[in-house]
Amino acid sequence: MAELDPSEYTIAELGPEIKEIEDVATLEEVLEAERNTKDREGAKTLLESRIEKFSEDDDADVGDLDLSEMSVADLGNALQDIDEMETLESLLEREAEEQNRDSATRLIESRIDSVAGSGESDIEQTQQSPEEKHPELDHPTADKGHVRALENGTYRDMWVYCETQSGALLDVSKEMLGKARRLMDEYNENYDANERVVAVVIGNDVAGLAEETIGYGADVAVYYEDDRLDRFRHTPYTEIFADMARSGGDWRDYDEPRYTLFPATNNGRDLSAQVQAELDSGLASDCSGLYIEESVISNPVKTGRPGENKTFERVLHMKRPDFSGFEYSTILCLDNPAREFHPQGASVIPGSFELPAFDGDREGQLVEHELALDPEWLQVEVIAYDRLDTGVDLSDHDVVVALGRGIGDDPTHGMELGVELADTFEDAGVGVSRGIVTGSYDFAGHIEGYTHEERQIGETGQVVAPKLYIAAGISGAIQHKVGMDESETIIAVNTDPDARIRDFSDYFIEGDLFEVLPQLTAALKAGELDLKAVADGGVGADDGGDTDE
Amino acid sequence: MEVILMSETYEHYEAVVVGAGPGGAATAAKLADEGIETLVLERGVDAGAKNVSGGLLYAEQSAPYTIDDLFPDIRAAATERPITEYYMQNVAGEKVKEYDLTSLHEHDTAWSDAVLRRRMDSWLAERVHERTRETGGGLLTGIHANGLLRENGEIVGVTCDEIDPIRADLIVAADGVNSELARDAGLMDWDEPEEWFQGVKATVDMPAVDDRFGIEPDEGVAHLFSGDLFEGVRGGGFLYTNTDSLSIGAVFHLDSLVEERAEPHELLNALLTHPLLARWLGEEYTEVEYAAKLVPDSKKVAHTSPHKDRLVLVGDAAGQMQAQGPIIKGMNHAVSAGALAAEAFATAKRRNNPESAGKRYERKLKESGVMKKLRPKRYERLRPIGEREKTTDVVDRLLTSPIGRVGLKAMDSIGLVERLYSSPFMSMSIPDTRTPYVTLPTVIAEELGAPVRDRSTVEPPSLEERIGELTYDTDIGNPHIRLRDSSVEASGTAVSACPVSATDFGGGCYREETITTNGDTKHVVSLDTQPCIECGTCAVVADTDWEHPGGGKGVEFTRG
Repeated sequence: MAELDPSEYTIAELGPEIKEIEDVATLEEVLEAERNTKDREGAKTLLESRIEKFSEDDDADVGDLDLSEMSVADLGNALQDIDEMETLESLLEREAEEQNRDSATRLIESRIDSVAGSGESDIEQTQQSPEEKHPELDHPTADKGHVRALENGTYRDMWVYCETQSGALLDVSKEMLGKARRLMDEYNENYDANERVVAVVIGNDVAGLAEETIGYGADVAVYYEDDRLDRFRHTPYTEIFADMARSGGDWRDYDEPRYTLFPATNNGRDLSAQVQAELDSGLASDCSGLYIEESVISNPVKTGRPGENKTFERVLHMKRPDFSGFEYSTILCLDNPAREFHPQGASVIPGSFELPAFDGDREGQLVEHELALDPEWLQVEVIAYDRLDTGVDLSDHDVVVALGRGIGDDPTHGMELGVELADTFEDAGVGVSRGIVTGSYDFAGHIEGYTHEERQIGETGQVVAPKLYIAAGISGAIQHKVGMDESETIIAVNTDPDARIRDFSDYFIEGDLFEVLPQLTAALKAGELDLKAVADGGVGADDGGDTDE
Repeated sequence: MEVILMSETYEHYEAVVVGAGPGGAATAAKLADEGIETLVLERGVDAGAKNVSGGLLYAEQSAPYTIDDLFPDIRAAATERPITEYYMQNVAGEKVKEYDLTSLHEHDTAWSDAVLRRRMDSWLAERVHERTRETGGGLLTGIHANGLLRENGEIVGVTCDEIDPIRADLIVAADGVNSELARDAGLMDWDEPEEWFQGVKATVDMPAVDDRFGIEPDEGVAHLFSGDLFEGVRGGGFLYTNTDSLSIGAVFHLDSLVEERAEPHELLNALLTHPLLARWLGEEYTEVEYAAKLVPDSKKVAHTSPHKDRLVLVGDAAGQMQAQGPIIKGMNHAVSAGALAAEAFATAKRRNNPESAGKRYERKLKESGVMKKLRPKRYERLRPIGEREKTTDVVDRLLTSPIGRVGLKAMDSIGLVERLYSSPFMSMSIPDTRTPYVTLPTVIAEELGAPVRDRSTVEPPSLEERIGELTYDTDIGNPHIRLRDSSVEASGTAVSACPVSATDFGGGCYREETITTNGDTKHVVSLDTQPCIECGTCAVVADTDWEHPGGGKGVEFTRG
């Protein structure tokens, strides 16, 4: 009997259960037990593949490789495990004697080369510039004026580019600050370090916004303001950011940032690509997840030695959705043995992280960056811009009058009554239910604008919470409810006393909106809104008792 | 030209399976077992999120494959209860006559379980993912395959809303009753209401199933209902015991629903509130999910040659749903068909002739006996006589006449009626007229039934509440159904036949509206797809452009 009885586990449970077992004999026993009990195909496959895995390890001793039995591909795989030059050379001889396959011979020779090669140190080789390495090619970037990647640079802090619009920080800027704060707090704890979150704000009149970033989690806010920078422009913004990142200053003691974050907005994407190129590093664009941990890498480009693993510390793992978001890639930006890739940079999809709360008591350092703007950088002029119409916003009115399919008998007149009622308030908006938006009602031209999707209230429209919400001819489906039930006071007008909206209304007027709305309007105009009077006024009171206040 | 050039770079799999219900799961599992690189695309956020069933899961002794052949642990992990008792309730007013059809239920049955599809299908999908991954494929959820990729007029793959088209040597349309792939290929249509049933179902919370039905945890009960429950609409009801809930529903002939302008949710309510159910439902009625689906009538639409180029149809997509009197079997046939299709492709591929998979599949459906069950010869032979209006009238008059009633009593006294009901051959040849669905059960109940003494206190939720309880992820600004003709003549039937719409109800999908323009009054139909539960009824009864919502969008069933 095996020490583990597979029949006690489902196939899903069995996987983790046998994960610890590496002994082939034990695994064989478990497999035998499975055959004798439940004999499940899935379980057997699981066990067999595990047996196969560890059996393979055993025959990594290659003296007994049977070349005649092996395909070239099999041989290629087997060769990866052989490091002894003698064994390889004997294999080469045997291949020549037995089958003498060109492809197999090449494989063995190349393995011999790579084993021999790894004895020397690749790193010692002088690094040639691309121009020296490939003199036959054009090198259009040869005159690139920036500083080349650093050697033995020091890198610290997480920098966050905070984009602004119309005199305010974008939400994504705050989201990144919140995330950076959490990352660096954890970082400082894990590595016993004291590195900071540095906010970067560039624009016209942005000192106040820079200060605001501290309340969202920045330790240092570096800003640059100039009235010529009232709109984003590629070149000056890039030059300023790169200069900030490279130049010193008494507030810091490192060469360049360790990490940089940009928003994956139109401007942020534009800026991030160029800045990271200027700093001779890479960029993971459109990320939605970030974490910092170590990473063990075997790629010889990064380790410098084939077949060796190297642990990279403090690596920013940048997750980005691929293939339309059904797969994620994690991008790492790692130094090569002879070339440093810092800062590790990412652009971040808006909405990926939580919006942090503003903490006015947080303290931080405000640094104004100094740099003379080169007029060359400002050659591109913004001569016109337009702010796109964001549609109707019903969320900032004191009162919202909403109409539903109760207007069906005379849709245009019903809407008119709603608009008239709204007009009697100082600050009221007119909304509609989804039933109106998707209905086939023909509205007269002057009223039609009120019936479009941009005024729809509910789950798939706007969510409002005004002081007063008047729902006329709306039954109160759950999809509508979620768009308005946070309103302070809800008055519903409906002919159906069983309408669902009654359950979450403060006042329910049983009656036809074509009669009730004009009375409400008249009462408001007269300056006295007595709901009881309206209700009693011949339109049928709700005797639920809610109307007497 | 552009398509041809581009398609050369599309990702290629040996097989792509669209839909992760039992049919798709069986196909994919069998393909993976054959070592075939298989990609499965499922449009729900999770497999089962779009799937509902009004039937039981059967393992037939005579079937070429059963679901536990392919997924040995399914019964322990993902089904509800074995159904060990099977009754037919004939109802006339408050009189009921019960027949025990357990022997019919057990005929050719290795086992049969009640199922809830979200639980079962998502479990299957995990297994399928594990197995298909081994062969270089896998299962992706939230991907809506919306049509076929063609090259030089030949089907070579599928197109999707979310990702680039995918090429494959075998394309399996297991995308359900409203299969967009089958329609794109011209193999199925939505033209005739008499080819379809519509099922509506309520899942009712019931922690104490054992007590209410007097059964043990490893036992279960099914009741079928027929008679005058549904205002003359041809159809029947069902009740199945799940682990701790009940599935109660009704299945109607769509043409009859249309003819009577009946509201399916009201017909369901007639069953739910019938005093006969009071003893099971008790005082507390908690409905946890309202659902509906279209059901193909395999007698009429099971495709005898369900393939074209590299495409094969499996399950509901091929009309493989056997609803013949008290025999209701769909999922098992989908499983058989799926595994046969996979087998066919594996053989075709070994013979170096993958294009022959469709023909081989067709032959396997016939040779294995699956097609004979779906399209019984007896029905074909009897249909011309049985369904003529005159015959129906004569039989109905005979049945309802004193002589017929006396004969019935005599037959019952020697147990003949129950035996007749229990005959699988009789069931398979039942004509689609009101006689077996309405007249006969009603007369049986009137003459032989005993009055029910219980009183029902069940108050089913309103349609508005039912819609409100469902979970939707609305694809704002991108409705998946468009009305081609909004006139009442063309599309008005949808207002009543749609299970989430009703006459004088403004919160549903289809609503009748009166428009007055310059003194002209016109009745039109308007459509809001937000409450849509994707049954496909309106694709048949109204003039629409119908497709499924994008991946992960639309309704999400949690029970199914």
